[in-house]
Amino acid sequence: VSCSMAGEEVFFLEEKRFKQCCEDFVKHSQQIGDGWEWRTSKDLGDGYLSKTHFQVRNRHIPPDLKEKNNDNTEQTLFAHLEEPLDDSQAAGVGSAEEVVRYEYHVLYSSSYQVPVLYFRACFLDGRPLTLDEIWGNVHASYQARLQEGPWDTITQQEHPILGQPFFVLHPCRTNEFISAVLSGSQKHHRHTNYIILWLSTVGPVVGLNLPLSYAKLAPEQSTSTDM
Amino acid sequence: MTDDKDVLRDVWFGRIPTCFTLYQDEITEREAEPYYLLLPRISYLTLVTDKVKKHFQKVMRQEEVSEIWFEYEGTPLKWHYPIGLLFDLHASNTALPWSITVHFKNFPEKDLLHCHSKDVIEAHFMACIKEADALKHKSQVINEMQKKDHKQLWMGLQNDKFEQFWAINRKLMEYPPEDNGFRYIPFRIYQATTERPFIQKLFRPIASGGQLHTLGDLLKDVCPTAISLEDGEQKTQVMIHGIEPMLETPIQWLSEHMSYPDNFLHISIIPRPTD
Repeated sequence: VSCSMAGEEVFFLEEKRFKQCCEDFVKHSQQIGDGWEWRTSKDLGDGYLSKTHFQVRNRHIPPDLKEKNNDNTEQTLFAHLEEPLDDSQAAGVGSAEEVVRYEYHVLYSSSYQVPVLYFRACFLDGRPLTLDEIWGNVHASYQARLQEGPWDTITQQEHPILGQPFFVLHPCRTNEFISAVLSGSQKHHRHTNYIILWLSTVGPVVGLNLPLSYAKLAPEQSTSTDM
Repeated sequence: MTDDKDVLRDVWFGRIPTCFTLYQDEITEREAEPYYLLLPRISYLTLVTDKVKKHFQKVMRQEEVSEIWFEYEGTPLKWHYPIGLLFDLHASNTALPWSITVHFKNFPEKDLLHCHSKDVIEAHFMACIKEADALKHKSQVINEMQKKDHKQLWMGLQNDKFEQFWAINRKLMEYPPEDNGFRYIPFRIYQATTERPFIQKLFRPIASGGQLHTLGDLLKDVCPTAISLEDGEQKTQVMIHGIEPMLETPIQWLSEHMSYPDNFLHISIIPRPTD
């Protein structure tokens, strides 16, 4: 999965390996009920990972919840950006404006040979969030970086398979993140699920977190084709 | 015999006569006259329509005006596609001038990207150039350039300065003497009939035996239905910059001479007119 260029290690992901990592990823997601699925396009057979979840944007207490039992109220009262609501809880929140539906897609970029994170968000009434509103939800530790050159990091782009506007975490920065994380002993790379490593690094930038159990994903069989 | 460099000029200076009409439901204080303009094929709608916007805003009330967007026969026009591509894809076999409808309300959030400033166009344009160079040169040429060279590419496009643009762009069209072309060809194939907006894949300009791949080879590999025959006839046209290049044309040559300023070959597959 890696190759050296003038002494600098650059990590590229071939498409076959991308698909295999996604398959393993979805299997684990199904085991823990994390909601990821693989969608195949009808015409060319390529595809992408997809997940939809709901998040509460702020800590306003909707009046309805005072009648629910304490456990539920507490959970929603202290809902952070990282705590997703399931569909039934989302519908119970008083003001539709506060619940945001996030959709995350992981596609493969053949130009850069890396995975790319596409996402979009809208309120329950269908109104999409603006780029400013999305940036407002970016984790504090990433905000400083984004302020220097926002146009290099999150931009609105056309989804290459669906043809609709999505926000995108820019792929040519991916190697910076991944190289820093993967700069360790070579021999570990064979058993690393690139998607889990990558998504756990870039996902939090846009409010997407992976449960820790992904880290326990069984290493790829050594019989699988290695680069 | 036409010099190859003349092709670069013909591509750069291509124009489409266009008639802009305000959408009938927009609220105006006086009647809005249509506005005529020659659009550069190689540029972007939101980059070249300031005069169109000013013209229609003169007859509208301030509060009725928000982000401008364009539509052709009910289809919202993607400003981030080059103008020539939009025309070839949607209107190439219709009568001139191209009739575009102008809107200031009800921006179609599900179809169009927002374009709040020229910076957005510049960012998009530069992102395309960088992606093209990732394919051609593993990003080596674009990364070696200084920021001022990147700026010159953008300013050349924005100000319609062929020489200024190509002084820098020629470096993006070079390749090492030991190779016979780029690593991969930056291209996108568009068909108005599909949900997928375009097809883009890795494609080498040189075969393993050293022969030059042709436009026909590219299509056979990536989009075979584009050139297949139905009842012995070719039902589609393969169009770049308003012409149908011969399928025997080497794709390396097409990439060097008929790419758009973003360094991509934008190829339209459209129904062949039956007359």
